[in-house]
Amino acid sequence: METAIRTVNLTKFYGKLLAVDHINFEVKKGEIFGFLGPNGAGKTTTTRMLTGISKPTEGTAEVMGYDIQRQSVEAKELMGIVPDISNVYTDLSAWGNLIFTGRLYDIAKVERERRARELLQLFGLFDRRHESVQGFSRGMKRRLCIAMALMNKSSILFLDEPTSGLDVQSVLTIRNLVRKLNEDGLTIFLTTHNMEEANQMCDRVAIINRGKIAAIDTPERLKKTIKKLQFIEVSFFGATKNLTKDLKTIQGVTEVAKHGDKYRLNTENSPKVLSAIWEYASANELKIHTVNTLGPSLEDVFVKLTGITPEMKRKGSELGIRAGS
Amino acid sequence: MIGIKRILKDIRVAWAIGEKDIRIYYAKPASLMFGILFPFSMFLSFVIGRNIPIDQAIPVLVAQSLFFASSSIGPVTIPLERRIRTFDRFLSAPVSLSTVLLGKTIAGFIYGAGVSIIPIIVGVVFFQSIVTDFVALTAGLVLSALGFAAMGIMFASIPGQGPGQVMMPLNFVRIPLLFISGVFIPVKDLPVWGQLLSMFSPLTHSIELVRGGLGGQNFFGPLFNMAILTFYLVVFLLVGIRFHMVNQKKE
Repeated sequence: METAIRTVNLTKFYGKLLAVDHINFEVKKGEIFGFLGPNGAGKTTTTRMLTGISKPTEGTAEVMGYDIQRQSVEAKELMGIVPDISNVYTDLSAWGNLIFTGRLYDIAKVERERRARELLQLFGLFDRRHESVQGFSRGMKRRLCIAMALMNKSSILFLDEPTSGLDVQSVLTIRNLVRKLNEDGLTIFLTTHNMEEANQMCDRVAIINRGKIAAIDTPERLKKTIKKLQFIEVSFFGATKNLTKDLKTIQGVTEVAKHGDKYRLNTENSPKVLSAIWEYASANELKIHTVNTLGPSLEDVFVKLTGITPEMKRKGSELGIRAGS
Repeated sequence: MIGIKRILKDIRVAWAIGEKDIRIYYAKPASLMFGILFPFSMFLSFVIGRNIPIDQAIPVLVAQSLFFASSSIGPVTIPLERRIRTFDRFLSAPVSLSTVLLGKTIAGFIYGAGVSIIPIIVGVVFFQSIVTDFVALTAGLVLSALGFAAMGIMFASIPGQGPGQVMMPLNFVRIPLLFISGVFIPVKDLPVWGQLLSMFSPLTHSIELVRGGLGGQNFFGPLFNMAILTFYLVVFLLVGIRFHMVNQKKE
């Protein structure tokens, strides 16, 4: 399979701060490649370097066979970019935004108008094409932003947190559109915080932490790296106050976390821990409501590689949103 | 052939950027305030209460409008576009930074030229002003609007995410220039050191050309005015592009 992106020792310093540290990876043509990492790990900096917005301090990057530094015009002609915020012109209409993008890529008038109509229809914005974008919902702006990235019939699409902060319906619409675009042959470079999104959508993922690539593989192979780790999720009728503490005392349990009305136990010996839970429940006259055994998720791989718990990640995201707003 | 195609493409893209800026930013409060209201109020404070003949007042208003209006568009559009990250669209598009800045310069040029033509029309229609040297007047309008627009673009390279952060240092330069450029006192009436100093101000040469074009006296001569304005246009463009490139490296 041909290469869509290749980085060699790609590095970025901001003053003395090393944001991206000599990273090397390849993205194949036609795949959905997930780029995961905690806040400040270097995801957006890497994307900005790959898209020519930011200049690398060291190293090289090729996009669709073109060096992004030396052949930037050729490389940029083949890429579409959807940044983490919808940078659309709110004073223009959806039509105006698309037409301006077409002109920025020097697409002939007839072709850009045909393409704008086609994209507005595909993204469900055609009926509101002449309205000012100011009045659009966040999901509509996001869809418009993706449509703008596709005006030049790009071969590769960079999506930075495409569904972040959107309602469920918009998230599903965008995910379906991205899948459809990929089926049509578009390579997707997807930067996301959302592990489930990466798990569901990506052919391969890279996890970046503190500016370095911690792992690259398919989601399933990454999960296998921590296969030994298993989880038991149990919920009780009439759970007592000290339940978390008590469950931790069960032999073979390495960690207990309360997830809503469920308790999640980490273990490497599920059968033994399961029978201990039954014994504990009957001894304490507790009725088990549900019990499930689970394998490791992509999030568990992420936690293991980055040392960042979901709570820390969530708090980090909230802080990020606040800082960005 | 490829070179010509590329140049034509760059011109089309620059025009698209300029046209978009015209549609979006001309009526923004910051453009109106710093580009129109500001020079007009300064002009009023200069003429009110003084018995200044109209043939002397109109060139001052024209040159001030050119100076402030043209140089205000870049400092309004670029920081605003940086703030809402639409500037990233230009950086990730298949065009050079010079083309983007040329587009921004076009927007400043049209704004400045458009605003300053109004007092000329008013002068000609209502106050019997006569255009005696069309070439000097046109050169004054075109070279000044382009040069001051490029000056605004150069200042807009100052990192910041609001027009205020750029306008402050820009006004720190623009306002003192008014005092050494023959705006309030004609160059011929300045002391020798003042005349020497005024020679280095691009605004002096704008006023001289406009004044000469409307039948007034020209101290340095129109060719010298044009040469100096062309020199400043090139310097502002090149330095502006260089500064923006340095900024992009820091991105």
